[in-house]
Formats: sequence, structure tokens, C-alpha cells
Amino acid sequence: MMPAVDTKADFDNAAKADTIAVSVKDVDMVYDGIHAVRSASFDLETGKFLTILGPSGSGKTTLLRLIAGFQRPTRGEIFINGAAVSTVPPHRRSIGMVFQKLALFPHMTAAENVAFPLKMRRTDARQIPARVERYLDMVRLGGYGARRVHELSGGQQQRVAIARALVFEPDLLLLDEPLAALDRKLREEMQLEFRRIQRELGVTTINVTHDQREALVVSDEIIVMNGGEILQKAQPADTYRKPANAFVANFIGVTNFLDAPQGGTRAIRAERVQIAPTHAELSGCDTIVDGIVADAIFEGERVVYEISVASMGNVLLRVFDHDLAAHGQFVAGTAVSLGWNARDVLYFNP
Amino acid sequence: MTAALSKTVILWIFVAAVLVLLSAPTIVILGASFTSGNIITFPPDGFSFKWYAKIAASRDLWQAFLRSVYVSAICTIVAIPVGTLAGIALAKYAIRFEKSVQIYLLLPFTIPLIGSAIGLMLIFGEARILGQLWPVGIACCVINLPFMIWAVTASAASLDPDLELAAASCGAPPLSTFLHVTLPAVLPGVISGALLMFILALNEFLVSLLLTDARIVTLPVQIYNSIRSIITPDLAAISVVFIACAVLAIALLDRLVGLEIFLKSK
Repeated sequence: MMPAVDTKADFDNAAKADTIAVSVKDVDMVYDGIHAVRSASFDLETGKFLTILGPSGSGKTTLLRLIAGFQRPTRGEIFINGAAVSTVPPHRRSIGMVFQKLALFPHMTAAENVAFPLKMRRTDARQIPARVERYLDMVRLGGYGARRVHELSGGQQQRVAIARALVFEPDLLLLDEPLAALDRKLREEMQLEFRRIQRELGVTTINVTHDQREALVVSDEIIVMNGGEILQKAQPADTYRKPANAFVANFIGVTNFLDAPQGGTRAIRAERVQIAPTHAELSGCDTIVDGIVADAIFEGERVVYEISVASMGNVLLRVFDHDLAAHGQFVAGTAVSLGWNARDVLYFNP
Repeated sequence: MTAALSKTVILWIFVAAVLVLLSAPTIVILGASFTSGNIITFPPDGFSFKWYAKIAASRDLWQAFLRSVYVSAICTIVAIPVGTLAGIALAKYAIRFEKSVQIYLLLPFTIPLIGSAIGLMLIFGEARILGQLWPVGIACCVINLPFMIWAVTASAASLDPDLELAAASCGAPPLSTFLHVTLPAVLPGVISGALLMFILALNEFLVSLLLTDARIVTLPVQIYNSIRSIITPDLAAISVVFIACAVLAIALLDRLVGLEIFLKSK
């Protein structure tokens, strides 16, 4: 049935009023006097795919486990669909989770693993087989239900874990670096798979990773964490274009840090720097420096040059060259010119 | 080449010697049980099943055997819940005084058996339960419990701690998590521990000797009593029955959990 125009507007307004799925307010987690998470706050809208990105020890996994309910925050409160959950044990939260080592039940078949959450949540037993079948199909494992966990490949186990986390239609899906152990090809395939399934079901998702590429590829929003603190929350393109500080700029993408004239930090992305044999070819740039090629690293689709710039205290600037025809043009020791535009330079306050 | 060859020869001689040493008692007793003569000898004097027929017909031996099975059953039934819970707890949680608890659990096993047996005899005497059979099972359980705990701990230690968290996120309350996830995961350890407890209690001699009286002797004590008068080939036949029980237990273990798991879990 098509809703009438005015009721659709009402519907939209109602949805907007109730659109925050997860709200983390001023959360601290202290172990043995050390802040694993420090005054973390963020809101996540319903249906969004959020990635918490950070190096190991940044507190990203701790934050995820607090949301899952495996630990209680030392201070602060977490709200899921508007309700405070600090005192709610994990099995009463409507949260599906895919673990880093998957944590599939080894004594059960793939189908039994997927059926487990339904049994535990007292779903009508007659509906369970069809539901399990539907979710196995969704992760493209139709017909694999009778296999034992150890009879499945790494990628297939991933898919069982996803089906198990989603089969009971949770309010929230948590991904604790489940792709970290996969080889690159499979990892990239599974990233797209997560994205596809998340869009298909529209389930609010929080993903944890240290892989900046994964964060950029799969997310609607990225939170960058370091040392237990949230440094930035933004959409992937904004995180990349307008990093909040030098740490974010360095963690995502390849960034050259330049001298700091007034105490702050300046930086330029490697792909915004142009390289040429002489000044003449860099006429479009408003900043031009001379350097010597220190190293040329062949990466297949591009060459990464490290250029030593004498006028900047021999700092090494990294530059990308995507021109396949020109590959090998600059060998170590070659004198080159580098150029960029002032509008591409990033400024960070001290 | 010759060095490698002599190394191989020495290795094989060593292996053969070990195999003979390990299996010699079993082979001798097996052979002796089939003798047709009236004294226990190896190689056997002729071949017959008459000594098996004799023990099968002996009411005393049968009753002693059934009593032994009863004692073993009591021991195993008590050991399974106690040993399983203790084993999981020791493997999973950072328990205060964990080291002390482990040493305490080893205690009945570390002090000489005769000491434990006398201690238990005094306690049971005080409690006026001496002369019954079930306390013997309890006693076997107390003394051999470390084996059960070790078997379970080995299984539980290799358990992924995220497994229980995964169960929780699937909506399983703690008790369901334990029954559906933790317990099946440590089941190989529980089964191997339980069979070990059963066999150890079946073979238990010293404790039974002190805790039983003439009316309720277990099989090993019954055999001991017979040896004191005369050693006849029926004793060899009984020993073979014992060995058969052990082989049965190992076969069962292999069927249920696979021997590799058992050997890995020590």
C-alpha cells in the first residue's frame, strides 16, 4: 500500500525523532589505573555503518566490548535505541557480533551455529529451519548447512559467523576485526560482502579495524581513535580530506609533514605532490622545490619516490607516480623538481 | 651412510627392547591363563579355557568383581561433576590462590597411598560408615581426582574465551552458555577423565584393602587373598579379565573422543 503524501511526511518525522541507534556518553574504561578508553562520546544514526579505526592499543576493541556488554564502563553511559544499557547483561541486548577469531561453536554444524541464537531467543521451533536457510542463502552458503565448522574454508566460516550474528535480526551488529586474519584478496572480497549485506538489511553496524583501506571502503562514518581517545568522527571522504589532526593525517593515507612555521604542523598528501625533471613542467604549482631521488619503490600500479629536499633540511618527501609509461624515469640520485599548490596543504594547530 | 645405518639399527634395537619390556607382563599373563596344567607357568603347558570356566563359575570372584564395578561407578559418578567444575574453574578463571588450590588438589595423590588410606579409614570409622561399599568409591574418587581435573583442564585451557561471549551475544544466559557451549567443548576431557577414574577405581587395591572387611572385599583384594594361599592359573585368567576391561575402556575412548585428543590432553 502506498502511503498518502502527508502520512509519509509524518513517518519521516517520526523516524528522525528516533534515529539515534547508539549513543556513547562520556565513557571511561580504566584497567589498573590505565585509561583504555577516555571520555569517549559519539552518536550513531540508525542504519549507518560506522568503523572505529585505530592502531592496536588505541582502545577501539575495548569500546566495542563495552557496547556489546562484555565489560561495564568505569564511568559514563551507553544508550542503545535510547535506553541506558550499563546494567543490561550481553544476552539481553539485541546485538549480533562477529568475533576476531569468529568463535563459531566447534561441536555444531553451520546450520546449528546459525540456529543457536534463535533457539536461545525462543523463536518458534517450526520457523527456525526456514530462517536458518534464508540467512545461509543470504551469505551465499545455501546447501552448506550440514557441514561441520572445521569442514569449511576460512571465507565460509566468516559467512557462517555473519549469518549467526544477523539471523535473530538484532538492533545492532558489531564486527571485532573479523577480517584481520584473512589474506588480502579474501579480505577485500569480504569487505564488499559486509557492505552488501549491511545495505541489504539496513542493520546499524559498528566495525573495528586497524586497516585504513577497509575503513574507507565499507563505512558511512569513521571514528579514529588513539590512546583511548576519539580524535575524529566524520564521513570517509571528510576524514581523508580534512583530517582533524596530524595523527589522523598520518594514519589514513600517505602524508608528508613539512616544517612548522608558527608552531603548528603543515602537511601535504603524497598524491598532491607533482614530480618532474625540471621546474618548467610544474608551471601550474605555486610551490616548487628541488630534490634528489633517494629511493624509487615499484608497487605495481604506481611508483613511490622518496625525495630528499635540501632546502627543507633533507626531509624525505614521498611522491606517487601513476604514469606507467614514465616508470623508471627517475632512479636514485636523479635531481628532480617537486611542486604542489598551497590549497592542498593541510594545517594543524599545535 | 654406515653411520646412518648403525644409527637406524641401534634405534630399532632400542624400540624393540622397550616394546618387549612394556608388553612382556601382559603376554606372559595372557599365555599363562590358557594353560591346561595346574600351576601357573609360561610358556603355558597345553591350551585350554578351563581356568576361565573356573573363574566364571566362582561365586566369590563374581561378587567381588561386581563390588569393584559398583565402587568404580560411585567413584566416577562423583568425580564427573566435581572434577569437571574444578577443572573448568582452574583453567578459565584467575582464581585467588590458584597455585595453592592446585597443590591442595594434588595432596591426596602426593602423600603415600597407605597414608591416605589410613587417614580415610580413621575418618570413615569415626563417621561409622566403615564396612559399607560406597565410601570406598568416595575414597577412590578423592585420591584419584587430580587425574580427572587434569583431563578437564587440558580441554578447557584450549577453549577460546570468546566462545562464551559469542554464546552470550546469541542471547544465551549463563547457564545455557555452560550447558550448550562450555560443556560440549570440554566433553573430550570429561570422557577421558571419567574412563580413567573408572579404571583406576577398578584396579584400586590398597585403599580397598584398608576400607573393606571380609564380607565386602573388592576384586583386587579378593585376588590378593587368594595369592596368599596358593597361586593358581585362575589368577592369570582374572588378570586377563582386568586387562580386557582396560582395553575396552581405551576402545570406548577411541570411539567417543578419538585417541589423539586423549593423548594430547595427557
